[in-house]
Amino acid sequence: MPGSTEPMDQRELLALEQYLKQYGQQAEIFASQLELMENGRMEALAAIEALQGLLEAADSTVLLQIGGGASVRAKVLETDKILLNIGSDVIVERTNKDAVEFLKDRVTEMEASEKKVAETLEKLRAQINEIAKRIEQGYQQAVAAEQAAGPLSRQPQEDE
Amino acid sequence: MFAGLKERLQAARARISGSIGAAVTAQPADIQDPEKPAGASGTGTIPDTAEAAPSSQTSATFATRFKTLVIDRELIITEKELADALSELEITLLESDVALPVTDAIIAHVKKQLVGKHRKIGQSVDALVVGTLKDALLNVLGKGFDLSSYISSHERPVRILFTGVNGTGKTTTVAKIGAYLKKQGFSVVIGAGDTYRAGAIEQIEVHAERLGIRIIQHQPGADPSAVLFDAVQYAQSHKIDVVLADTAGRFHTKANLMSQLDKIRRVMKPDLVVYVDEAVAGNDAVVRAAEFERTVGADAVILTKADMDSRGGAAISIAHTIGKPLMFLGTGQAYDDIIPFSPEAMVEELLGDV
Repeated sequence: MPGSTEPMDQRELLALEQYLKQYGQQAEIFASQLELMENGRMEALAAIEALQGLLEAADSTVLLQIGGGASVRAKVLETDKILLNIGSDVIVERTNKDAVEFLKDRVTEMEASEKKVAETLEKLRAQINEIAKRIEQGYQQAVAAEQAAGPLSRQPQEDE
Repeated sequence: MFAGLKERLQAARARISGSIGAAVTAQPADIQDPEKPAGASGTGTIPDTAEAAPSSQTSATFATRFKTLVIDRELIITEKELADALSELEITLLESDVALPVTDAIIAHVKKQLVGKHRKIGQSVDALVVGTLKDALLNVLGKGFDLSSYISSHERPVRILFTGVNGTGKTTTVAKIGAYLKKQGFSVVIGAGDTYRAGAIEQIEVHAERLGIRIIQHQPGADPSAVLFDAVQYAQSHKIDVVLADTAGRFHTKANLMSQLDKIRRVMKPDLVVYVDEAVAGNDAVVRAAEFERTVGADAVILTKADMDSRGGAAISIAHTIGKPLMFLGTGQAYDDIIPFSPEAMVEELLGDV
């Protein structure tokens, strides 16, 4: 690790702390993005299951959630005509099978994007660990230097 | 970058080429004109004889098309041949989050370019289709924006104000642009105008220190107009080429933040207002950019996180929708991970040989 044998000065330690903070913020953004993507993927998978269930069930009665934890039984009028937002806020009518295919493609696409975000997040975390390790080393070196210098020189550091 | 869109466009290209090719090979059985010379048979003929000939939808009459085929050894592409493939292309574009008006413009362009087109028998259908699709995309992608040339041809310091919604990577983008301009040989100063978000000043300070760029900053909570005014003053007195002004993220609906932005604009008089958003936001980014352009005004756009965007809809749509050029694409975490947007390079990337 660069500079690990050289004692770190205060300025370098401060800079490392700022890097740590900055990487931490970036990691947070990517983590929340990953969560959003994961939610989108789970939603698509739930829709696939519901669409397939509609075709398989003899009766097209479903539980329709109306908010606040309340649900009503509802009958789906056309189980093979699905209104689907295909992107750009354009909604088209598709057959049940085509809608499932479309959603499966979207799930695959989201998985690929999630993988990329996860890789970036992994890299950031590795960098965070590296910086944290260097900061820890810096502190240990500072403490060791203080102890070697004797009790008198410790006084000014107590204020920190 | 934009892998999904690339795959879909390549499929659409094959589909359109296929429709034209299929129409060509299917035609000999349809027309058996006694006047037709033997040499023309089997190489191709004219489609949909009875109904298409009098139709005004195609630019050529039956007689013209027949004459073209026999004398000039050429085929004329009809709208009917293309209808299915164009409809598929439309869905493909929409599924890639390309905005509806942009999709319409692309389809109209392809239709206009291909329908009625004379094609030499034996000439590659694919080359014709690829050329047309490239043209259609270039038509909506605009001309891009060469920042280096802009700076070189304007009075220094060139003042660039970065604005946009929260969390899209504005501050990192400012640092990347700083690094890019430094590499191009320009001197740069950054104004830490995001005095609102906790840690934003430290963040840009760390970037500036790493890049060896001077930063002008005030305390958190200070008036951003004052910070940016100071940055411009500093640049003027030190003969710096470019002032990069970072600002806090804001939604166009927040009246107080918008009036703050107005004040910043009055005080620092930016030469360029750059709107920053993320490519992964897709159509949302396009809608937001259009709103910002309408309420605040923008001269160029930067899309971040393009490396994570498989659909590419925002990059395709934004210039055409808001009428302002796309300037850069952010493609990763490192300072070098920013590429000047070139419509030609993007079209080549999407439709070049696989």
